[in-house]
Amino acid sequence: MTLTVIWLLPMVGSALIAFMPPRFAKWLGVVVAIAALGVAAGVAFSFAPGYRGYQYSEAVPWIPQLRIFYRLGVDGISLWLVVLNAFLTVIAILATPVSTRNVNRFVALMLAMSAGLAGVFMATDLVLFYVFWEAMLIPAYFLLWLFGEGDRPARAAVKFVLYTLAGSLLMLVGVIGEYVFTGKQTFDLATLATLAPSPSIQFGLFSVFALAFAIKTPLFPFHSWLPDAYMAAPTPMLITFAGVMGKAGAYGFLRIAVPLFPEPVGWWDWRWVVPVLAVAAIIWGALMAIAQRDMKLLVAYSSVSHMGFIVLGIFSYNVQGQQGAILQMVNHGIIISALFLIVAWISDRAGTRDRSAMAGLAARMPVMAGVFIVVTLAALGLPGLNSFVGEFMTLLGAWQRAPVLALFGAIGLVLAPVYMLRLFQGVMQGAPAGPVPRSDIRTAQLLLLAPLVLLMFVIGLDPNALTSLMTSLGQAGLAR
Amino acid sequence: MSPLLAADLNYTWAQALGDLSQIAAVATLTGFFLFAIVVDLVLPKHRRGGAVAMTAVTGFAFALGTAAYRWVYGQGGASAYHGFATGDNFALFFEILFATLGILTVALSHSYLRKRGLLESEFHILIMAAVIGMMVLGSATSLVTVFLGLELLSIALYIACGFVRTESRSQEAAAKYLLVGGFASAFVLYGMALIYGGAGTTVIPEIAKRLDATSSGNPLIILGIVLMGVGFAFKVSAAPFHMWTPDVYQGAPLPVTAFMSVGTKAAAFAMIVRVFSGGLPHLAPEWQALLAFVAATSMVVGNLMAIAQTSLKRLLAYSGVAQAGYILVGVIAGGQSGLSAVLYYLFVYMFMNFGAFAVITLLAGPEGDRDRFSDLEGLARRNPVMAVLMSVFMLSLAGFPPSVGFFGKLFLFTAGVSAGYTWLVVLAVVMSVVSVFYYVRVLIPVWSPSARTDRVPASISSQGVLWLSALASVALGVYPTTVLLLGQLGANPISGP
Repeated sequence: MTLTVIWLLPMVGSALIAFMPPRFAKWLGVVVAIAALGVAAGVAFSFAPGYRGYQYSEAVPWIPQLRIFYRLGVDGISLWLVVLNAFLTVIAILATPVSTRNVNRFVALMLAMSAGLAGVFMATDLVLFYVFWEAMLIPAYFLLWLFGEGDRPARAAVKFVLYTLAGSLLMLVGVIGEYVFTGKQTFDLATLATLAPSPSIQFGLFSVFALAFAIKTPLFPFHSWLPDAYMAAPTPMLITFAGVMGKAGAYGFLRIAVPLFPEPVGWWDWRWVVPVLAVAAIIWGALMAIAQRDMKLLVAYSSVSHMGFIVLGIFSYNVQGQQGAILQMVNHGIIISALFLIVAWISDRAGTRDRSAMAGLAARMPVMAGVFIVVTLAALGLPGLNSFVGEFMTLLGAWQRAPVLALFGAIGLVLAPVYMLRLFQGVMQGAPAGPVPRSDIRTAQLLLLAPLVLLMFVIGLDPNALTSLMTSLGQAGLAR
Repeated sequence: MSPLLAADLNYTWAQALGDLSQIAAVATLTGFFLFAIVVDLVLPKHRRGGAVAMTAVTGFAFALGTAAYRWVYGQGGASAYHGFATGDNFALFFEILFATLGILTVALSHSYLRKRGLLESEFHILIMAAVIGMMVLGSATSLVTVFLGLELLSIALYIACGFVRTESRSQEAAAKYLLVGGFASAFVLYGMALIYGGAGTTVIPEIAKRLDATSSGNPLIILGIVLMGVGFAFKVSAAPFHMWTPDVYQGAPLPVTAFMSVGTKAAAFAMIVRVFSGGLPHLAPEWQALLAFVAATSMVVGNLMAIAQTSLKRLLAYSGVAQAGYILVGVIAGGQSGLSAVLYYLFVYMFMNFGAFAVITLLAGPEGDRDRFSDLEGLARRNPVMAVLMSVFMLSLAGFPPSVGFFGKLFLFTAGVSAGYTWLVVLAVVMSVVSVFYYVRVLIPVWSPSARTDRVPASISSQGVLWLSALASVALGVYPTTVLLLGQLGANPISGP
C-alpha cells in the first residue's frame, strides 16, 4: 500500500484542487506534495540495501484474462527517482506564483503529472508501466499548452505530444510483443528479465522500446522537440518536466531495454549504436548550448548533453557506469531545476533572456551571483559538487567498456565549462551594461534554492549515501 | 426427406412459444414498439412526444432487463425457429448493448427535438424500429434473418436521416444513404445467394458444417464471400467503401448520427462475426485476407482524411472509419481473445463516441446543427463540465490510458500480434499517432481563451447521458475486467471456450 499512496495521493489531491477556489490551491498543493515526499522519504529510510528483488512490492490481479497485474515495487534503480520526483514536485509547486491565472488548474495538472511519473518509476508490470507512461502525457500536454510561454505554446505542446506518442505507441507493439514472443504470456518485468527471446526478435523489440525511450530522454538525433517544449514550458513546470520527465526515458533504458534484451543484435548491434548516439548527444548538445544567446535555450541544450552522459553510463553494462547513471539522473534533476529557476529570475528582473544583452549584473544582485556561481560550477562538474561524481562514474564505466567512448564523451566535460562559464561571466561579470535589474534575489526565492544547493554539496561530498542503496536490484539483467 | 423438413411437420404451437424465450428481448421491444405507435395515435398532439419517449425508454429498459435476466439465469442459447435465430450469449451481449444505446439516444434527442421543433414521437418510434433490427442481427443464425435485420435497421435509418424535411442537407443524406445502402444490401444478398447455392442451406451453423477447407476451390463460394464482405464493409463504413459515411453523418440530424455511428457499426460487426467467424470458419484464410486489406485501407484513409476536416461531424465520421479498421484487426485475429476484444471495444466505443456526439448535439441551435470547430470555442468557460467531459471523450478515442480507448486497442492489438498479424498492428499503431493529432485538435477551441460567454444549456437527461458516457469511458478502462469477461462469454458461442 505504501507505494500506491505515493502516486495516489497526488492524484487525489489533483482532482480535489482542480475544483478548489484558486486561493487555496497552491498551499493545498504544497501540503499534498510534502505528504507524498514524506512517504517516499520513509521508503528510502527503511530501504534494505543489497536485497535481491523489489521492495515494498504490491501485486493485485488487474486484468486476469491477459495476466495483467497491478504490480508496484522499488529497487535501487527506482528508489532515488521516486524520491527525486516527490522532492522536485514540492519545489515546483512552491515556485508557482500565486498570481498565475487559473492557478488551481496549474497545480492540479502538476500533481497529476507528478503522480504519473511516480507510477512510471514504481510500476513493475509492463502494461502498468505503459499506462503511467502515456497517462502522464495528458497533464504535460495541457500544462504546456494552457500555461505555456512564447507566442505559440499550442504548437510546441502538439509537437511534444506527437513526438512522444510516435515513440510510445510503437512501444505498445513492443509491450505486446514481449507478451507474445517470450512464450510465457506475462507482463511481469522480473519474469520477463529472465526470458530473452531470440536475438532477431530482441532486436525488433529493442528497437521499438529504445525509440520511445530515446525520444523521451531525449537522445540525439531525437531531441528536436526539446528546445520548443522547454522554451514554451513555464518555469515551475520545467522543474519536473526537465528535472524528472526526461529521466523517465533514461530509466526506461535501464529498467526495460537493457535487462530484457541482453543481445539485441540484428541488422546492427544496438549495444554499440546507443552509446555512440549518447556520445553524439553529449557533444552536439554542448555545441548547441555554446551557440545559444537565449539563456533558457542554452540550459535546455545543456540538458541534452548531460542526458547523453546518463545514457552512456547505462550502456556501459557495468556497475560503475549504471550506478553513475542513476546518480547522474538525480544530480541533473537537481541542477537543471536550479538553473532554470535562476535563469527565469534573472530574465524576469532584466526583462530579457538574451545573455548578450546584459553584463555586470553581479554588482546589482550579489547574492544571486553567489548562488548562480555555485550552480554553474555544479553543472560543469567541479569536484566536490554532485555532478562530478556522476559524470566521472559514467565515464569510468564507459572506459571499461571501450576507452574510445570515454575519450569522446570527455569532450563534453571540456565543453561544459565553455558554455556555463561564458553564461555566468557574460551575464554577471564585467562592466554593468544593458538593463538594470530591479532587485536582488528575494528571501523566499533564496529559501527555495537552499535545499537544491545543499543537496549539491551533500551528494558531492558523500555520494555513497545514494550509491550504497543502489546495490539492491529487483530483477535480473543488470550489472551488480 | 431431410431431417429439417421432418421436424417441420411436427412443429407445434407449444414449441413456437418456447422458442419465443430465445428472442425474448426482441419480442419485448417489439411489443413496446407497437404500443408506442398506438400511443402516438390516440394521445393529443402536445402530449405525444413525451409519452412516446417514456414508452421507448421503458421498452429499452425492459429489453435490457430481459436480456440481462437471460444472461444470468438462462440456460444458454438454443436454436430457435428451425435455426433462424438464437438467444445465445452473443445475441444477449448485443441486445444489452443496443438497448443501452437506445436509452442513450432517446435521452439525448428529447431536448434536441424540442429545440429544433421536430416531430418527436415519430423519431423515437423510428429509433425503436432500428434497434429491433439491430437486435435481430445480433440473434440471427440464418442468412435470411441476417438480411431481415439488416433491412429493418437500414430502412428505419433511411427515414431518420432525412428527418429534417426542411433542410436540403438532411434530404441529401437520406437519398445518399438509401442509394448506397440499397447497393450494399444487394451485394450482401447476392453473396448470400451464392453461399446458399454452395452450401444448400441458409442456416449459419449448418453452413459451417457443410463448407470445409476444400470449398476454397469453389469460385461460387469465393465470390459469395467477396460480395458479402463488400456489403459488410459498406455497413461498418470501412474503406474503400466508406464514401457515404461523411456525407450522411453530416447531413443527418445529430442524434441520428450519434446513434448510427455506434449502432450501425456494432450491428454490422455482429453480422460479420456471426457470418464469417461463425459460418465460414474453414474458409478463414479467404475472408481474413479480404478483411485485412479492408482494415489496412480503413486505418490509413480514415485517419488521413480526418486531419483535413473542418466539420466535427465529418471528422468523427472519418474517425469512425479508422476505428472500424482497428476493430477489424480483432475479427481477423479471431479466437476467443480476438472476438472478446471486438465485443469489448464495441461496448466501450458506444460510450466514448456517443459521448462525443452528445456534446456536439448540445451545441445545436434552433436553426440547425452547429458542428464547426469554431462552435466549440470557449467551451471551457461556457460550460466547464462539458469541456472536461469532451476532453475525456477525445482522449479516450485517441487511446490514452487509463481510458477505455487504450484498453480496447491493447486487447485488439494483443490478439492481432498473437495471431501473427504484426504488420497490421504496426500499421494500426502508426496511424493511431496520426489520429491523436486530430482528436487533440478538437480540444484546442474548447480550452483556448475566447471572448464568447453565451452559456451552453444542457437538459437533465442530456447531462445524464454525458456523465454516464464519461464515467463509463474512464471506469471501464480503469477496471476493464468485467466487460472483457462479458465479451469472452459473449464470444464463446462463436469461438468456443
